[in-house]
Amino acid sequence: MSATWLLARRNLMRRRVRLIVSIGGVALALTLVLALDAIFEGVSRQLTSYIDRSGADVWVAQSGVRNLHMVASWMPDSATDEVRNVGGVAEAQPILYSTDSIVAADERGWAYVIGLPADASMGGPWDVVEGTGRPGAGEAVIDRRFAQRAGVGLGDTVTLLGREFRIAGLTEGTASLVNSVVFVSFDDFAAQRAGEPTVSFVLVRVAEGASADDVARAIGERVGGVSVQTTEAFGRAERQLVLDMSGDVISIMNIIGFVVGLAVVALTVYVATLALRREYGSLKAFGAPNRYLYRVVLTQAGLSVAIGFLAGIAVTAALSAIVPRTGANLELAIGAGSLLKVGVVAAVIAALAALLPIRQIAGLDPAIVAREGV
Amino acid sequence: MTALTLDVRDVTKRYGDGETSVTAVQGVSLAVAPGEIVLIMGPSGSGKTTLLSMMGALLRPTSGSIHLDGTAISELSEGKLPAIRLRQFGFIFQDFNLLSALTIRENVSLVAELSGTKRRAAREKATAILTELGLGARLDFLPDKLSGGEKQRVAIARALINDPALILADEPTANLDSKIGHEIMRLLRRIAKEQGRSVVIVSHDQRIRDIADRVLWLEDGRFKEIVTMATDPVCGMSVDRERAVSAERDGERYWFCSNGCRSEFLGGPSDGHDPFGLALVERARHVVEAVIRGVSAAR
Repeated sequence: MSATWLLARRNLMRRRVRLIVSIGGVALALTLVLALDAIFEGVSRQLTSYIDRSGADVWVAQSGVRNLHMVASWMPDSATDEVRNVGGVAEAQPILYSTDSIVAADERGWAYVIGLPADASMGGPWDVVEGTGRPGAGEAVIDRRFAQRAGVGLGDTVTLLGREFRIAGLTEGTASLVNSVVFVSFDDFAAQRAGEPTVSFVLVRVAEGASADDVARAIGERVGGVSVQTTEAFGRAERQLVLDMSGDVISIMNIIGFVVGLAVVALTVYVATLALRREYGSLKAFGAPNRYLYRVVLTQAGLSVAIGFLAGIAVTAALSAIVPRTGANLELAIGAGSLLKVGVVAAVIAALAALLPIRQIAGLDPAIVAREGV
Repeated sequence: MTALTLDVRDVTKRYGDGETSVTAVQGVSLAVAPGEIVLIMGPSGSGKTTLLSMMGALLRPTSGSIHLDGTAISELSEGKLPAIRLRQFGFIFQDFNLLSALTIRENVSLVAELSGTKRRAAREKATAILTELGLGARLDFLPDKLSGGEKQRVAIARALINDPALILADEPTANLDSKIGHEIMRLLRRIAKEQGRSVVIVSHDQRIRDIADRVLWLEDGRFKEIVTMATDPVCGMSVDRERAVSAERDGERYWFCSNGCRSEFLGGPSDGHDPFGLALVERARHVVEAVIRGVSAAR
């Protein structure tokens, strides 16, 4: 243990209340940033869960449609056969899609409504907890949490697409903060829509050994009036949309977290240095070079921030375990990128927080110890 | 430890500029020989601490120079001074200035580590010095668990840890009771005489005169010849013979801090011209001051 580490650690530990305030402040500020990132990451995952769990390798949409959220995509139903005939396509399956309100009892919410063919092998529910996952005529498969909030179950009715459906199945993992995913039969959806036969998306599974990128490119070349993306690219576009929609809020909250963290650490390190001014002066008098004292202050700030950072991670992890159990359609996911970002922010906070005390020490007169009343 | 000579040459220290400037030390010269104990006395505000700070390279003189074994340390850049302070000087302060978060052993060993001694060796050396100074049973105590005398012994151990040639002590007995003050004085004398270190002490404490090889009187920033100082036979105060009032009795001359003391010494107002009883008031003032000094010394 070096002389720097010894003094920095003892200075911190000896003044427990100040240490707790400092660590608590940093933890709170970094938790704000971490939790917000985790919420964003969780919501992104929820919003793209249908895409990610669709089982498709490639998504074909109306030209210009690059994501699922808040879009309308309509293509002639002949598009499915055209896609099916492209080399490398093992399976092509249409779905109908619309964003609509779902009403059950007094509960109302927004839903991605999926019209699913009776023989669908892609795009259906992936975790059916009650009933069926294949809605028949007049049936709907809805999210269990929505059903719980509405107080409805199998056999009860919900209203969507302008008519009533009987609940035939309940699913898990199909709800997000903003909406849920509801499945009805392709024919019911088409009947409600009327007009020319159309499809919203064609889901493609590529042949064994074929590359999704190559197949997507081939479909784009062979089928006119469509936008083609691999599932990965489609999901990425969806996440980007969420980021674009909430980016400003997240940035502002990050800045607030940064400023709060900086203010707390800077203030506590500054006050700690001020309180020990005479001791630092005596160290200077005994011959401690400035660089040693700077290292002590930096180590103190770094230690406070590091402990606060770990506490912030612990609090966020605890929140991510607790929040889903409260029944809220909220998932907190701590990503490696977020940890790295907040780690860098914490390091910057420590360095900046030490600046003012270092300035103070640099100007400290070692003769201070020989004078009374200072 | 190498025996070194500290040479202060015509040093002046002025604080501030223009009309508001204050000259704390003016044209002072002094040489301290190896193993010598020099006591600098003088009234409050006479410039003692400023002089000591300059001698220890804590403060730069406005003019003049300070040489340590021929090297003008007052001319060295700020970056070179920490190494000088660390290895050549040992400081002892009135308020001890121990690091409150460290144990007394760590307080001492830290200074050795700063000079480049390995942690283990620094710890062993600190243990040895503290044990020698009678603190072997309290090595892992925090400073606030110690008495004033023990704290000052820790400060002395810290001053000695890097084997300095010069010990500079600022009012080392001021915060100690009479008995502990004597102990510290004896300790400083032992350090000087047995270890051959020079010791410069700045103090108001008359008792330290007993251990000093040389006593200097600093007043208004200048040294006065100690022979020009006299003790008022009534109140015990040191007075400058050149400025003080005096009287002769039984063929011997005495010096006084005031007419009141002089009158009392001579058995009442000698000339009878004291219609308002001013001599009595003056005497009362000196009695009060003497009591205050006695209380301060007892602390």
